[in-house]
Amino acid sequence: MTASISSNSRTAAERDYSVFEADISGAALNLTLLRRLLGWLRPYRRLIAISSILVLVASALQILLPIIISLVVIDHILRGNSSSNSPDFGLVELNVSLSEFFGLPPLIIACGMYVVFQLGSASIGHAHRMTLVQAVINGLRDLRLDLFSHMETRPSSFFDRVAVGRVMTRVTNDVEALYELLRGLGTLVGEFVPFFVALFVMSMINVELTLLLLLALPLIALVTFLFRRRTRVLFRQARQTLSAMNQNLQENLAGLQVVQISDRQQHNLDRYNRINKENRGYEVRLGRIETLYGAFNESIAHIGIGLILYYGATQVMDVSMTVGEVVLFTQFIGMLFNPIVVLGEQTNILFRAMASGERIFQALDWDEANHEPQNPVQLPSRLQGKIEFKNLEFSYLPGEKVIKDMTLSVNPGETLAIVGPTGSGKSTLMKLLGRFYDISDNTIFLDGIDLNEIHSKELRKRIGTVLQDFHIFSGTIFDNISLGDQNISLGKVIEASKTVNAHSFIDALPLGYDTVLSERGQNLSQGQRQLLAFARVLAADPEILVLDEATANIDTETELLIQDALEKITKGRTSIVIAHRLQTIQEADRVLVFNNGIIEELGSHEELLQANGLYATLHKLQFQEERG
Amino acid sequence: MGERLQEDEDLGEVSTIKSLLRLRQFVKPYRFRFFSGIGMFGVARLLEAMVPVLTASAINKMTMDIFDVREELLGIALAVLLRYVAISLARFSVRRVGLHVAFDLRNKLYEHLQFQGSDFFSKNSIGDMMTRAVADISLIQRLFSAGSILLIILVYASATGFGFMLYYSPSLTLLLLPPLPFIFIYAFYAARSLGKTSTQVQERLSDIGTHTQENLSGIRTIQALVQEENEISSFSKTNQRYANAFQKQAQINSSMAAWMPSMAAACSIVIIGYGGHQVQNGEIMIGDLVAFFMFLNMVIQPFRVAGFIINLFQRAAIGSDRLFEVFDLPPEIIDQHQAGTVGETKGHLQISALTFRYPGEERYAIKDVSVEVQPGNILAIMGRVGSGKSTILKQVVRLLDPEPERIFLDGVDVRNFSLSELRRLVALVPQDPFLFAEPLKDNLTYDDPERTLNLIWDAARSADLSNTIESFPDRLDTLIGERGVTLSGGQKQRATLARGLIRKAPVLILDDCFSAVDTETEEHILSELKRVRAGQTTILVSHRVSTARHADKIIVLDEGMVIEKGSHEELLLEGGYYAELERVQREGGQDGDLKNKRAGVR
Repeated sequence: MTASISSNSRTAAERDYSVFEADISGAALNLTLLRRLLGWLRPYRRLIAISSILVLVASALQILLPIIISLVVIDHILRGNSSSNSPDFGLVELNVSLSEFFGLPPLIIACGMYVVFQLGSASIGHAHRMTLVQAVINGLRDLRLDLFSHMETRPSSFFDRVAVGRVMTRVTNDVEALYELLRGLGTLVGEFVPFFVALFVMSMINVELTLLLLLALPLIALVTFLFRRRTRVLFRQARQTLSAMNQNLQENLAGLQVVQISDRQQHNLDRYNRINKENRGYEVRLGRIETLYGAFNESIAHIGIGLILYYGATQVMDVSMTVGEVVLFTQFIGMLFNPIVVLGEQTNILFRAMASGERIFQALDWDEANHEPQNPVQLPSRLQGKIEFKNLEFSYLPGEKVIKDMTLSVNPGETLAIVGPTGSGKSTLMKLLGRFYDISDNTIFLDGIDLNEIHSKELRKRIGTVLQDFHIFSGTIFDNISLGDQNISLGKVIEASKTVNAHSFIDALPLGYDTVLSERGQNLSQGQRQLLAFARVLAADPEILVLDEATANIDTETELLIQDALEKITKGRTSIVIAHRLQTIQEADRVLVFNNGIIEELGSHEELLQANGLYATLHKLQFQEERG
Repeated sequence: MGERLQEDEDLGEVSTIKSLLRLRQFVKPYRFRFFSGIGMFGVARLLEAMVPVLTASAINKMTMDIFDVREELLGIALAVLLRYVAISLARFSVRRVGLHVAFDLRNKLYEHLQFQGSDFFSKNSIGDMMTRAVADISLIQRLFSAGSILLIILVYASATGFGFMLYYSPSLTLLLLPPLPFIFIYAFYAARSLGKTSTQVQERLSDIGTHTQENLSGIRTIQALVQEENEISSFSKTNQRYANAFQKQAQINSSMAAWMPSMAAACSIVIIGYGGHQVQNGEIMIGDLVAFFMFLNMVIQPFRVAGFIINLFQRAAIGSDRLFEVFDLPPEIIDQHQAGTVGETKGHLQISALTFRYPGEERYAIKDVSVEVQPGNILAIMGRVGSGKSTILKQVVRLLDPEPERIFLDGVDVRNFSLSELRRLVALVPQDPFLFAEPLKDNLTYDDPERTLNLIWDAARSADLSNTIESFPDRLDTLIGERGVTLSGGQKQRATLARGLIRKAPVLILDDCFSAVDTETEEHILSELKRVRAGQTTILVSHRVSTARHADKIIVLDEGMVIEKGSHEELLLEGGYYAELERVQREGGQDGDLKNKRAGVR
């Protein structure tokens, strides 16, 4: 994203995050939305234009095929009585002249014409579909990437409030609904063009019969509408019960040990069986309605053929229609009824896509962003690492200050341990230092430069952050330590790993540093993950280290390895550590006791113990027991 | 037992049929409905064939200057009406059989999975089982609702179409045959690759979901390490792969829509050329010619989906195989024949020379462990991760089956208890603090929902959970989990602890339940524990010496063996591993000492 995003005037507290909660249902037709969606297809408009021309040609050629059978073969060749006003598009004449030219029987020529038109219509139709698909695929690919990029660059305040699963739904299901919408629109075009051509030809032959057949359309439309209305609710109920079933099973498996030791198997099975039964009930009802509806449309078309024959016979008797024309009508009947059926099938998709589109644009319009300087300061190639906090204040929610009037300076190379009760503001402080939230000007300084004057990306490159949870990027162990930085060689990675005691376990893996880490990182223990995170920071060699010590369930020996590594990576760089281990605190230059957003105490471990204040109490509670 | 189940693979035709035949037992209860459905399809198809036949007749009449076609109109109307009834009944009954089969399969799978043990789940992920329950069963359901229906239609349509064509003109019918194999073969292959690409499109889409989910879960690290652009370009690749798969699918789809009718045109020109010639010679009539076109359509249409049908059958066969793999597994642990209940239990636990090896592993997880716990005593088990602590505890409640005559409860081999009796007597609180996405109250009373509120609050107080509960919006009725309140690690541990305490079992086992609880709280809980469990037996697992010192007896495990045994004071005096652990935890130190101590003891 660009460097000039300025903080949006609305604060997180004023925003309505509930728009990310809703799930796919339906929305009304919204033309603004459609127009905006088409914006993504604009770069591919030439493809769409070509595709539109091709569909017209293909449909026209396709409509000629039944005309060859009925008007050329049956009327002209077999019965020799083609009526002069039949809309044969000159095909009869063409047949006659080609037959004379090649000296072949008219039937053979008709076969040739049939093959040529069929192949022509097929290839042009194929070209039409592929160009259209190409445009749609490209457009929606771009849209999805834009959406992902936009979400990826939202600030922490956004992710504090919106669940990951919700954003994922936008990127997957909602964009997918748009694919279906555009594909559906393509199908509709493919059905409607032949419909109008057929309608034109039929009314040229016999307006009355055409109108008679058109009477069926409202009937089909009504039945389709009623069908959709009946099934929509059932459909949703079936889907909901199915997903309840899956959830139930998933949870039962995840907690199976508890289920077994609590002897709950039968009880749980009964409960599952109840939802299963409910689901089957909906599915059976749905099946009944769908079956009745599907057969209805086919029957209408068949009845139409009967009517054409009955009415046609009287017309043939009056010599106002030929036998071939009657046949032509029976062949066109499908083209006449298909579009309305397809339209019915597509309406659900259309409404669902509208709702999806709305949510996608809401996400894309979500302008929550952190402040970035207009003209960021260029940092020197190596910072000294002095950090100063001057009257820093911060609150997530208006009126609830998490950090109150904090002033402190951390010297270059110093290790500062922060301790304090849960919720005292320790991790907030750490996040502010990486500018994950907006702070007021002139409250935090790095080597004397106001943090707000530094671009956040530049800043974060200088501050190595180790969070409690180690995130694994897709790729090898090497990739995960070097993070795509060209300046970090394998040698450097190995060196860093050795320093933080990670080399021995990495080396023991069959593929060593080329081991591809599984996405969720299950093939690493908690302790190993922590060591990898250390190696990552060491390889990047930032001037400042900010670390939130993991409190996971790690055995004493691994803990000692981590402790040793921690000592090494804090050496020679300004380090701020949220400490949970006694030894980390003891080895820090200074200990900051944070409580309710204020600095309660500051000094070395021994000094604070002697002061006999909050630290001494905390120490007594947390660590005394360990002395036995 | 407990084999790693197979992955997806392409099956041959023979095994496809064999796999599907195994589903017979599930169709059997509904066989009458199934076969009457199939019969109905035949009736419907014959009635449908009346439309071309009567059309031909009407047109023939017109060419002979007979213009009264009322009979044909009535005939068509009647045939259509009867067909409507027949086809609806046929489709509905077959589809309904599919729904019932899926229903039975789901219940059976659920029941079966509930009786699998830790061995099974260590080899097969929950995700894999979910795929079987969701995707594989729905494949089998679709086999009925789409696959078998389409297959029936295809067979009947061909038989009826050719039957009537032969009746009108045998020689024209025979001439139509040569192009047909080509059409069928093309349809078969095209639709099969369409099936494959559709699967790919689904997979690529789920890749997008996984990618997004994983990326956003680590968004804080990504932003802290300024990896946004790398991540966006990595996503762009996943996105493009989906677009490619989608395009490939569209390509095959569109090709089929173009070339199927083009190949069928070969048949059409035979009808035009030779059929037209026959009409000129007076061998057949124009109406017959029209009927030929309609029957040709009837035969060819269903073949457009032939490959799709085969694909459905193959995938359903794979799904069926994967389900039967689970059905074929016996439950891991079952009651002994003579299993029964014992009277009053004092809570005396004796483990003698217990040895255990996980199936398929060389290494012994437990080697010759013996320990006795007197009723009312507390036993603490210490040791590194993987030293065998949980393995022993799981055998006590038979989540893993011990060898006979190794673990005794009040002198009776635990294998001689019925599973439900044993688990009632011995309450295990597992290491992983798992809570269900249900109200807190239901979680605490999971084994017996009928418990009184007093009992619940008592247990909650003992587990230091009552203040937490008071702070929840709906107190005991607060929904736990993503859609409710997300508990911290420590709160979860205290909740599972309360769930164990509430049972007041003669033996309570706490498998490392304090790791996320701070020391002060732990101290409080331990003293409560001593109070409420006075006279009852308790086993604790911990990494902390501060926890273990409350026990009457402590054992230290390493690589499955007991390396130290005694009371807190005894072990400190002994100056071994435990004593060193105590020193390290008190003041920090080098791990070399711990290693040496372990080695020294052994």
